[in-house]
Amino acid sequence: MSTAEIAIPAPTRRPRALGPLATLARRRFQLTARTPRELFVPLLTPIMFALVIAPALKTALHTSASYESFVAIGTVGLLIPLNTMFSGLSVIVDRISGAQPELLTAPIPRGLLVIGNLLVALAITALQVGVLIAVAVARGIHFHATGTGVLWFVAAGVLFTVGMYGLAEILAGRVPRQEEYIARVPAIAILPWFLAGALFPIIALPSFLTWVAKFLPLTHGLALMRYGLLQDSTGLHAIWGLSDPTAMAALSLAVIGGFALLLTAASIRVFSRSAVR
Amino acid sequence: MNAIEVTKLSKTYPGGVAAVKGIDFAVAAGEVFGLLGPNGAGKSTTVGMLTTTIEPSSGSARLAGFDVAEEPLDARRVSSVVFQDPVVDRSLTGRRNLEIHARLWGVEPREAEGWIPELAATFGLADLVDRPAGTYSGGQRRRLEIARALVSHPRVLFLDEPTVGLDPRIRAELLEVIAGLRSRSELTVLLTTHYLEEAERLCDRVAIIHAGRIVALDTPAALLAGLGRQLVELRVDGSVSSALAALRDRGVAGEDAFAVGSRVTVPLHGHSSSEAIAAIHDLGLAGAISAREPTLDDVYLRLTGDSLAAAA
Repeated sequence: MSTAEIAIPAPTRRPRALGPLATLARRRFQLTARTPRELFVPLLTPIMFALVIAPALKTALHTSASYESFVAIGTVGLLIPLNTMFSGLSVIVDRISGAQPELLTAPIPRGLLVIGNLLVALAITALQVGVLIAVAVARGIHFHATGTGVLWFVAAGVLFTVGMYGLAEILAGRVPRQEEYIARVPAIAILPWFLAGALFPIIALPSFLTWVAKFLPLTHGLALMRYGLLQDSTGLHAIWGLSDPTAMAALSLAVIGGFALLLTAASIRVFSRSAVR
Repeated sequence: MNAIEVTKLSKTYPGGVAAVKGIDFAVAAGEVFGLLGPNGAGKSTTVGMLTTTIEPSSGSARLAGFDVAEEPLDARRVSSVVFQDPVVDRSLTGRRNLEIHARLWGVEPREAEGWIPELAATFGLADLVDRPAGTYSGGQRRRLEIARALVSHPRVLFLDEPTVGLDPRIRAELLEVIAGLRSRSELTVLLTTHYLEEAERLCDRVAIIHAGRIVALDTPAALLAGLGRQLVELRVDGSVSSALAALRDRGVAGEDAFAVGSRVTVPLHGHSSSEAIAAIHDLGLAGAISAREPTLDDVYLRLTGDSLAAAA
C-alpha cells in the first residue's frame, strides 16, 4: 500500500442537534436490526402469556372471558420492562466492544446518545406491543377501545417505556459488565409485574402490598392502559378511590409522566457523568 | 497559535492514584508530536484529558485555541481520536462507520459522499468498505479507524498507541500510513507509543513521560545528540558506583554516564570507542563490553533508570 497523502479541507462547522440525533437513532436501529434477539426475545414470554397462560388460567379458574383481555394488557406490562432492559444491555455492549468511546469524543452533547437510544427503544417497544395486541385480537381477545381510549393507552405506554428505558440506562451506566446487569433484571423488570395488578387486581394482594403496588409506576400504567383499551376503571379506582375515571386517569398519567421525566433526566446525568472519568 | 497547549495538567484518580503530575507542552500546527513512555506512564490519561473523556484535576489544555474543560464541544469538533483498543461498530459496514463519524462531526452529506470513497481508496479500503467492519483483519480495522478519524478534517489527530497488538507486517504497513499523515501541512498529530522506533521515525518532537511527568522534550535527534555519537556499554561484576567513579577519574565517562543493575552505559564525548574500550580494559572493569550508537531507550534509561522495553 502506498503512503497516504490527502489534502485536508477546511474544518467542519458545528453540527445542529437534530442531525446528530437522527444519525444516532439510525445507528442504534441498524445495530438492533442486526441483533435479532433484541427484537424478538422480549416478545416470546408475553406472547406465551397472552396465548397460553391466560386461556389456561381462564379454564382453570372458570373466570369470565374478560380475564383474557385483563391479562393481555397485563402482558404489555411485562413486555415493556423486558424490552427496555434488553435495550439497556446493548448500551453495555456498545461501551465494551462497540463504538461508544468514539461517540463520546463527538462534538455533540452526550445526552443525545441517550435520547437516540431511547427513540429506538420506543419504536421497537411500539412494534412489539402492536404485535402483541394484534396477536391477542387474532386469538379472539376483545378490546373496547375508543379514540380517546387509545390515546390514554398510547400515552401510558409511551411514558412508561420512557421511564423504564431511563432506568435501564441508569443501570447500564452503573454496572460494568453484562453479567451483573442481567443479574439485576428480574428484580427490576419482573418482580414489580407480580405486584402491579398484571394478573389480578391489586386489591387481591395483602393490604400492605396493595399500598406498595400503588407506588409502582407499572400499577398506574396498567390501570391506565386498561382504562384506555377495556374501558375498565377498576384498576384506577383501586389506586385512587375516586369516582371520576377521567380525573383518576389524569392523576395516573401525571405519575407516569413524572416517572418518565425523572428517570430520563437521571439517566442523561448518569450517562454523561459516567462518560467522563 | 499552537494546535495543542497543555499547562500544568494533572490527573489524580479517585483513590489517590496520580496518573499525570503537572505536565506542560505545546505542539505547533502541522507538527507530529510523540508522547513516549511505558504502560502506566500517563500517556493515555493525557490523551483522555485532551479528548474530554477524562476530567483534569488541575491545569488546562487547549486544542486549536479551545479550552477542553470550558469549550469541550469546540475542542471535540476540531479533533479526532484513534483509540488504543478497536472501536468500531462491527456489524455495520466500513462505509457506515465513516458516514456516522461524518454526520456527527457536521460534514455535509454531499461532501462526505465524495470524501469517503477518496479516503477509503487512500487507505486501501476501497474493496472492503461495504463489508461489515467485523470481518476486517486487525490492520484493515486500524486503517478504517484512521480513515474515520480523518473524515471530519480534524486539526488535531490523536493516535493512542495505534500499533499495539498488531503483527509486525501489519504494524510496518500501518507505520507507512501514519508516516503519510505527515504530508498534511494542516494536520497536527499527537502520537502516544512505547515503541522507540515509531517515535524516532514519525515524530518531529518527542516528550518522554515517566510516572506522570515529562522528563525530556526535544527532537529525537537532539535527545540522541545529548548522548554523543557513540556509547560504550559494559557489565561489571563488582560495585557499579565504584566502576563509574573509576571511569570518571580516568576521563572516559562524563556526568551523563549511568548504571542500571550491573550494566554501565558510557556516552562518548571526545573519545573514540576503541580508546574508551582500551581504557576500560586497563581499569580491569569489563565483564562484557560493546560499542554502539545511542537510542531513545538510552535517553529514557538515563532519565528514569528503567528501560522502555522492560517497563512496557
